[in-house]
This record gives sequence, structure tokens and C-alpha cells, in this order.
Amino acid sequence: MASHMLKDAALFLPEIALTVTILAAIVADLIFRRVRAVVPGIVLAGLIATGFLVLGQQGSSVAIFSSMIAVDAFAVYFKLVILLAAVVVVVFSFGSAELQTGGRKLGEYYALLAAAVLGMMLMAGANNLLMMYLALELSSISSYLLSGYTREAADSSEASLKYVIYGALSSGLMLYGISILYGLTGSLDLATINHIVPVVISAGGPPLYGLLIAGILTLAGFGYKISAVPFHFWAPDVYEGAPITITAFLAVASKAGGFAMLIRFLKVTFFDATGVMAAAGTWEAVRGLRWVDLVAILSVLSMTVGNLTAIWQNNLKRLLAYSSIAHAGYMLMGVAVLNDEGIAAVMLYFVIYLFMNLGAFYAVMLIADKTGSEDIDDYKGLGSRAPFLAVALAIFLISLSGLPPTAGFIGKLYLFAALINKGWIWLAIVGALNSVIALYYYVRVIRNMFLRTDEQQSAPLSLSGMQMTMVLALLVPTLLFGLYFGPLVQLAQASVRIFGAP
Amino acid sequence: MEIFGIGILSWVTFLPVLGMVIVLALPKERRDVIRWTSLAVAAVQVVLAVVLFLRFDRSFAGINTEAGMQFLEKGRWIDVSGVALVGRLHIEYLLGIDGISMVMVLLTALISFIAVISSWTIDKSVKGYFALLLLLDTGMMGVFVALDFFLFYVFWELMLLPMYFLIGVWGGPRREYAAIKFFLYTLLGSVLMLLAMIALYFSVSVYLDPAGGMHALSEAAAGIRTGWEKVHTFNMLAMMDPANYEAGSLLAGINTSWRYLAYIALFIGFAIKVPIFPFHTWLPDAHVEAPTPISVILAGVLLKMGTYGMLRISFPMFPDAMRHYAWELALLGVISMVYGALVAMAQTDFKKLIAYSSVSHMGIVVLGMSSMNTLGLTGAVFQMFNHGVITAMLFLVVGVIYDRAHTRGLNEFGGLMNQMPRYAGAMTVAFFAALGLPGLSGFISEMFSLFGAFQTFPILTAIGAVTIVLTAGYMLWVLQRVFLGALPDKWKGLTDMNGRETFMLAVLGAVVLFCGIYPAPILNLMTSSLNHLAAILAQVPSATLLSGM
Amino acid sequence: MEIPLSYYLLLGAILFAIGVVGTLTRRNAIVIFMCIELMLNSVNLSLIAFSAFLGEITGMVTVFFVMAVAAAEAAVGLAIVIALYRNKPTVNVDEINILKW
Repeated sequence: MASHMLKDAALFLPEIALTVTILAAIVADLIFRRVRAVVPGIVLAGLIATGFLVLGQQGSSVAIFSSMIAVDAFAVYFKLVILLAAVVVVVFSFGSAELQTGGRKLGEYYALLAAAVLGMMLMAGANNLLMMYLALELSSISSYLLSGYTREAADSSEASLKYVIYGALSSGLMLYGISILYGLTGSLDLATINHIVPVVISAGGPPLYGLLIAGILTLAGFGYKISAVPFHFWAPDVYEGAPITITAFLAVASKAGGFAMLIRFLKVTFFDATGVMAAAGTWEAVRGLRWVDLVAILSVLSMTVGNLTAIWQNNLKRLLAYSSIAHAGYMLMGVAVLNDEGIAAVMLYFVIYLFMNLGAFYAVMLIADKTGSEDIDDYKGLGSRAPFLAVALAIFLISLSGLPPTAGFIGKLYLFAALINKGWIWLAIVGALNSVIALYYYVRVIRNMFLRTDEQQSAPLSLSGMQMTMVLALLVPTLLFGLYFGPLVQLAQASVRIFGAP
Repeated sequence: MEIFGIGILSWVTFLPVLGMVIVLALPKERRDVIRWTSLAVAAVQVVLAVVLFLRFDRSFAGINTEAGMQFLEKGRWIDVSGVALVGRLHIEYLLGIDGISMVMVLLTALISFIAVISSWTIDKSVKGYFALLLLLDTGMMGVFVALDFFLFYVFWELMLLPMYFLIGVWGGPRREYAAIKFFLYTLLGSVLMLLAMIALYFSVSVYLDPAGGMHALSEAAAGIRTGWEKVHTFNMLAMMDPANYEAGSLLAGINTSWRYLAYIALFIGFAIKVPIFPFHTWLPDAHVEAPTPISVILAGVLLKMGTYGMLRISFPMFPDAMRHYAWELALLGVISMVYGALVAMAQTDFKKLIAYSSVSHMGIVVLGMSSMNTLGLTGAVFQMFNHGVITAMLFLVVGVIYDRAHTRGLNEFGGLMNQMPRYAGAMTVAFFAALGLPGLSGFISEMFSLFGAFQTFPILTAIGAVTIVLTAGYMLWVLQRVFLGALPDKWKGLTDMNGRETFMLAVLGAVVLFCGIYPAPILNLMTSSLNHLAAILAQVPSATLLSGM
Repeated sequence: MEIPLSYYLLLGAILFAIGVVGTLTRRNAIVIFMCIELMLNSVNLSLIAFSAFLGEITGMVTVFFVMAVAAAEAAVGLAIVIALYRNKPTVNVDEINILKW
């Protein structure tokens, strides 16, 4: 038993390293009160070290700690995405003027950030409903605090309150769903549930509806984490109110964790391995309604509502919030396919989404730090005031809308390809039309930057070398992966193996 | 044919990008250097196009065989080895031209060159303007030389953004509206095209040998050698071989509803660009607001991409669906012709009138294409070339008067004949060419199109032929309103065309005149290709062809 | 006499429904947090009932975790309410309305 634990602990090394990082950050914050760079430095080093440890896990496919956590290619991939996003966000935070106001010390901020990352990494690997709940709560509770971090800004604490209420509500719903699933199957382990579900279904009658209710309630928890409609109400407020670094973090890393968990849940729990419903691929929730159909409905709702609402937004952060809801919808299309191709498409999309979305948020942050505004109307004439930044933001937005030759196009292409190959033509058409709608509001920003001029003739904005490097570091992949995406595809396709999935 | 180890088609396509990089590296105060650099790039592109023209072998058919394509360039672009269930991804960098593309390459080089000269008067952020113009140039050229659907699509979309900015930043008062309308319309079409492209990709399979060579399924049926791997492909030529459609795949078979659906999706994508009625509403707005050089490019080249796409992609890949919908296509062509002409007649804005005349003239192209015989197809492709040159002239003519008078209201002018004699000459040539006067290029292509279409759809063509009268009517009416009558006092100070303007119109006028008198060099280019295309279309049995109409 | 499982489940469901409705309709932030606690505890009740009924221990173990998480969540939530109260002396969520559609 002990030797088992030790062997398992060896595979848990990245998480342990991150835990050590969190503790070190808290202690360092107490000791080095004056030196600003110590805590971010420790967290950055910890994240990078964790990343290398995760890299070392490539190729393993086992479940550890009585199959609470799976260590497989799929988890490794998402952990890397989360860590990469976290590293970028830490660098953002270090340069953010918004966080610096009020002379606040930021030690706790970085420690909480690392804690949230730990929660998300656990989400990526969670193989048991209890583990999923705990991981989700760890990342959520840290995120509640982070989004309210700029206490004196009223909108920040308001965002935080809304986040905590919606978050608690959704996780409560999810927990209730989990309890019903437990009652029906007597287990919280995904693979065990998968074995018992056929028995429940073949019994027919009320348990089938029990399963439907349990499934929908559980989906509510995942839906909240990935901000899919109709569980999205928190997202716009939180994204607008939270410090922009945290908004970027939530939009990318948190979503990655949520998607990893959702895919694993659907793939392992509801996948029909016994071939009873071979044609459908996944279990039917009730007669004629497959689980993936529910996902498809969520997807259509998220894309459409996200895009249509984004059109009316004037705050760029809020606009990006709705755009990220719409992106959750796009990625859900890939989840609805739920074969290797669909999952690979989602995973590929995530890496691309990471670069373009973080890039967009960073550009918005730099502009907000200098002009003090996130209002689209204040972006007028930015093309001449800050040409480099404006062009970079334009490219990120174009990539988000999915036009070639940017990486966003490749992401969309793969999603559509997976859909069409599996015969989801109607969903592909809805997705395609949605990307046309999306272009409209992205171009609104570009229009204000380049087509309109600023009446006040404000002074040009200058960027430091460090900021320029950071923008370039996100811009180059966004363009490069649009023209040469072979290695990325290879990586995503090699990482679709999920432990315990057929 | 290679220059410095790089194929000539890559040069002709990517030279403008090179120019863009140079322009971006120049300081923005050096306006003249930027202008001359752009002009040099465009001139070299013309030279390369002429070299292609001279070296082009007229006997090669092209269309659906790699052997028939000339100046072929082939390289591995993306190659991802397959894993379980997902399969290998292989995208080629494949360029090549046949008779249809050759004509378009010539047109693109010529129009881009003229557009750069015409851009001399642009004063607002010169650097950004020329950089975008050159990027647009690459996008256009790329569309005409790409033989891989994926590459084609990238080029197709690459044009959108520069065009958006060129209209949106340097355009007229309602430029923002016009630019976003153009952008959204085209994107709507191209996402549908994207879905059709993916469906084609998954339906078509070929065998790939280790050296990167492709082998059709029919070839592999004779025996698969070692190392051959079955892959899906974006290669357009492979998509044109019905034998490559795997049984059971989405687009396999003939006259299936999926094939019709895919054809319609592609059609909408291309029709928006042409634009065919009822997808034309973006065009007048875009033209009216765009600056003169951009109007020239828009009408001269961009509209041709729609019809080119149909000839290059829709027709050879879906000959069955094309035949099935040939009558509908012809009908839309005729509606565009008549509707465009009627609306043009009612315009008082000079530019809007020409925009609607473009709708009308592109309708002739569509009608000619729907005929499915060599005569009609030749007329259509030649009309694409001629319309490109003639409309470029027309927009330049508008630009000349607008630069001086700052108005485009037709009714405000009169009696300019004596005031601006050179201008009157150029404008008369352009308008007579547009209305199809014998001896000028428009006449030949319109006649070819109509004669060809008459063989297939006599009644429709007869209705469409009314357009010729309508066109003559509104064109002559414009000439009368502008040149005859009394000269209003406020225009007494107008000067005649300067050397630059005269040069542009003289070059284009010479092309129009030459093609009108001796069209053989251009027609020779495309004859064998179009014969082949007509043969492909004729092979398909069709029960529903309404030959009586 | 043994109380059947369905009684526990029904009580759990009723408590849960009260909690959800309360969270969605109440306007006082403190009451909302109480309703959330109600939701979580109704889940605990179902879990224990299931666990006892199935003779399987996972459900009971889960309850301990849920209790710990609920405590953390409540602590964080109340801390946020206090932070908010310093900016604007109210706990009525209708008046907390800087962020809107």
C-alpha cells in the first residue's frame, strides 16, 4: 500500500511542486516585504519547474491514488496549456498598472494565482466526481478572491460577489447531480459509473430520468466553468469588473480546466463502450436524445447568444467576455463530436485561443494602463497614436474571428472538419454563420482604431521594450501557426488519449 | 521556369509582398520613394506576366490534369503523419496555370500596375496605403495561380482585410458602412465555401508515395506499391476526378442532394463576389465609396474571382450539379444583365451607374458560362478580361472628373467636349467599348457569350440580348449629358487630363482596341483549356437539362 | 420502524429546491449565502442517505469534503461582502449594480 502511494506520488510530482511554490510564495511574502520582484519570481520559477515536471509525464497513461486522478496524454496537454497561460499572466501582472494602485503588496495575489493553477491542473486530471468537485472549488475559490483583488474599485468587489454567488449556485447544482449519480450507481469513479450505467439504463423506468436530471445538473457545473450559455451570467460582469490580468486568466486557463473536465466526464462516463448503442456513440439520456445532442444545444446557444450580445457592448473587456462565451460555443462543437478528431480539434483550438486571446487582453491592458479607458469609443485614432499596438490588437482580433492567414482560422478549420466528417452539417453551418456575426463586432474595434480619428489629438503612446517583446511573443505564434501548423496538429493529435476511455 | 531557384509563379505572386516589406521599412515621410517602389514592383509583375504569356504553350489543356498545367510548382507545405483514427494531413503548396488562369494573371498584373499609377494622388498615410495595396495584389494573384483548395482559400481571404482598410480608410463619406458591408457579405460567402471545401476534402482520397507524388484511386486500382499511403487531399485536380470520390463518402456519386448542396454553397460564395443578382447589393456601396484605384481593382479583378472560382472549382468538380442548375444559372445571369442595365439607367451618380453596369456585364459572363459549350465559355472568359480592362477605364474616367469637379452628379455636367478634348476622347473609347461597339474588345466577347448561350438557352438569351440595347441607351445618354449641351459656368476652369492620366487611359485603350481588332493572341490562350472544360461538362448525363428554354 | 430512503431524498430535494429558489430570488447577500449553505447541506443529506442505503462509504466521505469546501466558500463569500460594504454600505444585491448588460 505504502509503496503504491509512493509510486503514485512520483506521478503527482508536478502538483506537489506547485503546492510547494504556493507555500514558498506565502512565506517569501512575509519575509521580503520590500522587494517587489521576489514573490512573482518564485511563482514564475515554480510554474516553469512544474511545466518541466509535467513534460516529463508525457507518455504515461495511468490513474493514481485509487484512480482519483488520471495521468495521461490528455491531462498533460491541458496542464501545459494552463501553465503556459499562467506564466503569461504572471508576466502581465508584474507590469500591470491597475494592480499597482493603492500601493498594495501583491504577494497574496501571486500565491492565489498559483493556487488557482493547482486547482485547474487537478481539474485536467480528475478522474473521480469528488476529485472534480474539489478541483473545481479550489480553482473557483481562488478565482473569487483574485477577481475582487482590487478592493477599492467598486466594480471589482461587485464582480467578485456576483462570481461567488453564481459559482456557489452552479457548484451546488453540480454537487446535487453528483449525489444522484452516486445514488444510482453507488460510485463516484468515472469508469465504474460507465460500467454501471448500462445496467441502470436497461432497467429502464424512472432511473433513466434520474440519470438525465443528474447529467444535466452535473453539466451545469461544467457549463459554469467554461461559461457556456445558459450558465454564463457571471462571465460578463466578472470579466469586466476583475483586474484585466485575472480576466485573461479566467478566459483561458479556467476554461481549459473546465473543458478538460467536461471532455473527460463525457468521454469516460457516457461513452458507450459495450456497443449497446453503437450507432449513437454515446448513451442516450432519454429516448432519442443523446448526451452529445445536449452539448450541441449548449454549443449553439453559447455561440449565438455570445456573439449577438457582444455586438452591443461598448466596454472592450465586456466585449471580449461575450466573445469568450462564443468561443466556448465553438469549442463545444468539437466536444459534441466527441471522437478523437473532435477532441483533437478542441485541444488544438485551445493552444491557438491561448495566444490570440491573451494577446488581445494584453493589448487591451496596455492601452487601458495608458489611456485609463476600456471604452471602444476611446480607441479612436489609436492606429496613429500607437501603430504597433493597434496593428497587434487588430491581428489578435482577426485571429479570434477566424480569418486566414492567422492561427484562429486553423482552429476553426479543424473544428469544422471534425464536424463535417462526423456528419454534423447543421452544426457546422450554424458555427460558420456565427463566425460572420463575430467578425462584425471585432471589426468595430478595428474600425475605431484605424478608420476613425481622435478629435482630441492625444499624444502617442509608447511601449517599453519589455512590453513590445511580450506582445511579439504572443503575436508571432498567432501568425506563424496560421501558416505552419503541422507540429501543433501533431501534438494535439498525439494527446487525445484519455485514460479509461474506449 | 525558375528565377534564383524560385518558380516564376511564386515570384509573380509574392513579389508584391516583398514590395510591401520594403515599403513598410521605408520612413513614412519618403512618399515618393514609396510610390516609386510600388510602381517598380507592379512593373516587374507586368514583365513577369508578359514572360509567362510569351512562354505559355497554347496546346496544353490544363483544367483537371497536372500534366496539362504549366509552370507547375509543387512543394510540401503541411505534413502531419497520421495517428489512430485521424489520418495523415497533407497540404501541398501547388501553383500552376492553364488557359483560364493565364488570362487572369495578365489582367491582374495589368490592372494592379494601372492602379498603382492611379494611386499617385493619394495623400493620406501613403505608406499604409501602398503596403495594403501590394498585399491585396498578392492575394489576387494567388487566387488565380493556386491549384490547392486550401491555398486558394487562404489567398481568397487574404484579400478581405486589405480591401476593408482600403475602402474604409481612404474611401468617401460613407466608407465605413461600405467597407463593413463588403467584408461581411464576402465573409458570409466564403464561410459557406469553407464548409464545401472541407466536405470535398473528406470525400476525396488519393494515394501518396514517399516522394510526395499523388496517385489517383483509379491508378492505385492497378496495384498499390509499397510505401503508398492513402490520404485525403485539398488538391483541386484530384477533386476533379470522379474516381477519387470514395464510395460512401459525403459527396460521392452523381446528382446526389449532398452534391447539390455543396455546389450551392460554393455558388453562393462565388456569386457574392461576382456579384450575381440577388447578392449584388454590396457592390454599388463599395464602388461609390472606394477611392478610384480601389474601384479599378475591385471591378477589374475582384469581381472576376467569382466567375473564375466557378470555372476553376464549381464546374469541373460538380459537372453534374452544374448541368442540373445550368438553367437557373443562366436565368440569374440574364436577371443580372437586365436588372443591372435598368438600374444603371436610373442613376445620376456617375460611379453608381458604372457599378450597376458592372453587374450587368458580369451577368453576360455568367450567361456565357452557363452555356456549357466552348463558344459560350470562350466568350465568358474573354468578357472577364475585357470587362476588367474596360471597367478599369470607366472608373478612371470617373476619377479624372471627380478629382477636378469633386462631384459625380451626372446632371451637373454638360458641354465638356470642348473644355476637355483629350478626356472626351478617352471617355468615348471607354463607353463605346462598354456598350459593345464592333471593333472594340467588348463586342467580341459579348457576341461570343450570347451566341454560345443561344445554342443552349435560346429564349433566355433572346431576353438577355435586350440588355445590349439598354446598355447602348444609358451609355450614350451619359456621353450626351456630360459632353453635349451648354457648359455650366462653374466648370469653365476644368483642365484636361494630365500626362499620368492620359498614360493610364491610353494603355488600357490600346488593349481594348487591340483585342477588338485582333483578339487571337488572347483567345488562343484559352481555347484548348475551354474545349477541355466543355468536354468535361458534356460527359455528364443529365435528365433535367431544360434544352427547350 | 425504518424510514424509507425516499423520505430522505424527498426532504433533500425540497431543501435543495428551497435553497435554489432562495438564491435566485432573495436580495440580501447574507440570506443568499445562507440559501447556498442550505443547498449544500441538502446534498449532504442525500449523500448520507444514499451511502447508508447502499452500504457504501464513499458518500459519507464526500460529505466531509463538502462541509470543508462549504466553510471555505462561506468565508470567502462573507469576506467579499465585507469588502464590498466598505465601498458601498449595502448588502442588497439590487443596489450592487455598476455592472450591467
